[in-house]
Amino acid sequence: MSTQSLDSLSAAPRTTATAGTAGKVIAKRAAGSLFVLWAAVTLTFFVLRLTPGDPITAILGGAGSSPSAETVAAVRAEYGLDQPVLVQYLSYLGNLLTGDFGVSYIFKVPVLEIIGPQILPTLQLAGLALVFAWVIALAFTLLTVGRGRVLDGAGRAVEVFFASLPQFWVGIMLAVVFAVTLGWFPVAGNDGVRSLVLPALSLAVPLAGFIAQVTRSSFEDALAQPFVLSARARGLSDTAVRITHALRHAILPGLTLSAWAVGSLVSSAVVAEIIFARPGLGRSLVDAIVNRDLPITLAVVFLIAAVYILVNLVVDVLYRVVDPRTNPKGSAA
Amino acid sequence: METASPSTSRPPRTLALLAVAAGLVLTTSGCGGSAAASEDDTFVFATGKDISCLDPHVNGDMPQASIAANYLDSLVSQDSEGAIHPWLATDWSVSEDGLTYTFTVRDDVWFTDGTKLTAEAVKANLDHMIDPDTQSGTAGGYLKPYVGTEVVDETTAVVTLNRPYAAFLEVLAQPFLGIESPEALKRPQAENCNSPVGTGPYRIVDYVPQSKVSLVRNEDYNSAPPFAQHEGPAHIEKIEWRIVPEDSTRYGLLRAGQVDALDLMPSVHFDEAEADPNVELILQDRPGNPTNLILNTTRAPFDDVDVRKAFLRSAYVDAGINSVYFGTVTRAGGPLSSTTGFYSPDFEHVYDPDPDEAARLLDEAGWTGRDDEGYRVKDGRRLTVHFPYTPGAWPTAHQALVTQIQATAKKAGFEVLIENGDGATVSELGNNFEYDLRADYWNTNTADVLRIVFSSEYTESAGFVPNGSGFRNPELDGILNDALATDDPSEREDLYYQAQQIVSDSALQLPLYNQASQVALRSDRYGNLTLEPSLSLPYLYDVTAVDSE
Repeated sequence: MSTQSLDSLSAAPRTTATAGTAGKVIAKRAAGSLFVLWAAVTLTFFVLRLTPGDPITAILGGAGSSPSAETVAAVRAEYGLDQPVLVQYLSYLGNLLTGDFGVSYIFKVPVLEIIGPQILPTLQLAGLALVFAWVIALAFTLLTVGRGRVLDGAGRAVEVFFASLPQFWVGIMLAVVFAVTLGWFPVAGNDGVRSLVLPALSLAVPLAGFIAQVTRSSFEDALAQPFVLSARARGLSDTAVRITHALRHAILPGLTLSAWAVGSLVSSAVVAEIIFARPGLGRSLVDAIVNRDLPITLAVVFLIAAVYILVNLVVDVLYRVVDPRTNPKGSAA
Repeated sequence: METASPSTSRPPRTLALLAVAAGLVLTTSGCGGSAAASEDDTFVFATGKDISCLDPHVNGDMPQASIAANYLDSLVSQDSEGAIHPWLATDWSVSEDGLTYTFTVRDDVWFTDGTKLTAEAVKANLDHMIDPDTQSGTAGGYLKPYVGTEVVDETTAVVTLNRPYAAFLEVLAQPFLGIESPEALKRPQAENCNSPVGTGPYRIVDYVPQSKVSLVRNEDYNSAPPFAQHEGPAHIEKIEWRIVPEDSTRYGLLRAGQVDALDLMPSVHFDEAEADPNVELILQDRPGNPTNLILNTTRAPFDDVDVRKAFLRSAYVDAGINSVYFGTVTRAGGPLSSTTGFYSPDFEHVYDPDPDEAARLLDEAGWTGRDDEGYRVKDGRRLTVHFPYTPGAWPTAHQALVTQIQATAKKAGFEVLIENGDGATVSELGNNFEYDLRADYWNTNTADVLRIVFSSEYTESAGFVPNGSGFRNPELDGILNDALATDDPSEREDLYYQAQQIVSDSALQLPLYNQASQVALRSDRYGNLTLEPSLSLPYLYDVTAVDSE
């Protein structure tokens, strides 16, 4: 979990890119996105290439095989590992521009064949985890904020507890209780929605604690605003005030957080993927890094960066919808 | 073959504790799931390590051999005593000089792609394993003496080697060297990795990496090996081979009845599984060089044999194994595991712990001083042992064991520095002899493993250096080569005894425990899950459903 100060997540418009004409905005966005993709891939390439360790051993069946010199030479030539790093980098980039992600060192098949089928399961997992996290977080804030000291305190305590839980522990406990002991869900695997519930929950619980903490403070601020008082004076019920007026304000920081959360969910999905034996990008990334399987590592990093860019775009749009102040034609609330 | 290969990510150590906790929670309830075998006759097997390419000729990691044992047949078979018997080859003869092997193959066996098994398959397969483009670390590694194959007629193939290699038939019996369809081998590698074709009892129908392999019965199967319990098609129609890397999840699946068997049985759940009437544990030590710490003799301090012996004497391995493995592995003392052909028990207790002897040896070697932390000192230098280590490549219990060895070595005055790194980093240090200790094992079905792990020939490699001791001893090299030049069992036994003697006297390794296949089966549903003899891999051909018995 990020440790950035929550105070910096104010409800101000998110980016400067949202100012200006539509055409300008789109051009700026596109350039920025391309730069992020290039930087992510380049950084990963050099970090992986310049760390000590030779991928050859991993490629040839691990540390217990004894390949002939001819075989090793063939592997080096096959993957261009005998070329200078810069040449390797430029040829990788060249291939990438034509949409060619290369061939996995370990699986020996084109990278997209390996990770292509994993994109959807990982996005499903991250997506459902985000939904669960929001549902849990909203339930907490709506039910406990400003409902007296006891409930407030209990809500806060549970949020901190949730936010500090390790995903691994949550996952194993969920599996033991709901899958092994009660048999409500499959213990592991990837068939259908039922097998998605526990892994998504194991990622959602810590995230929910985090989102709830952010939402709580802004919800408290919102409830103290004059417009809430005037709404109450107009005779609106407490629930209506909470949902129609305060909530709108309260979820903005959470939305900002969600953009970051999706990116991190995709990469931290590895935890749920390993525990619940699901195929996915997170697992591929970890295995590929350990095995120095450069093509897979780069492709997954590329994808995660792309997801991050897309989600940011979606959040910007949502922001305009939820907070009319960022919309030049919008009326004041 | 196979040292731990860094190919699965492993959760942090705290997870082991959680698994224990989970285990405690679990013990309160019995096995779930219905007792009837799963509908539509599918046997679900959960394996704990990811498979890369399904063709075991490529790369060459244990999970590949494990699944290959169920869809490939080999040219020859091995029995549990290590003796070689026919399989796809009905007989063979070896020339006087040990350089040519003439095989006769069966003429009534078909691959599951409909092509017929002929002598051509011998040539196509051996050529494929040795081809650098195949990128074969294991099968290709075992075939270094291979020169070529001449196909004489439909059923006769003559294989030529460039040196006598009595272990040739033994390695041929391993699933790593299983026989694939020559037609299928002609396809691009990516395709053959996803759907290799054999003559075995099952054929592969689908592979989803990181998830599962689906196999169906070969209805025309007629080439069962001598070690099988029946002939003809397998009893079970379908196999789903699921990849479940997380230990407690794998065991949870078995308990919940969502899988029928698993491998890499987690040691924390052994007691529970043994107490469960619905679970049968199938345990078998593997042949080869046991799990060990190998000592680098090419630099100080382990270039001095007395210092090596002192280190071996300082380690309380038995106590460590009992405390972290809960008695789920067997202690190894010599350079061969007890299930290897030509193993001798005489070297099991040569270096039992003896602090006084360790102290005497260090005094003799000139490490007489002690610094303020209690470490031995010589010429102002501390007795430091560098141990680069990849925690992710080893079971949690192994990590605990090396920590205990570090502690007992400290009592004797050794400073053991366990330097954690990832697999690629550690193996690079290993290839350059930049370490004092290295964690190793080598699973193979022949005493020739001594040559791979201790001979001069294997102190160099472009890929991985198997001889981590850097030991170069012409006498040992000669003995090990002589053992390959004869196929007289009593002569080989004598030579391999001498080799074990030299290795033991030279104190090159601290043996820890035997590598083992540890499989758990839902015995309320299925029976007859066995381990094939060459590498003790799970063998599903004879498995029967309980309700059909």
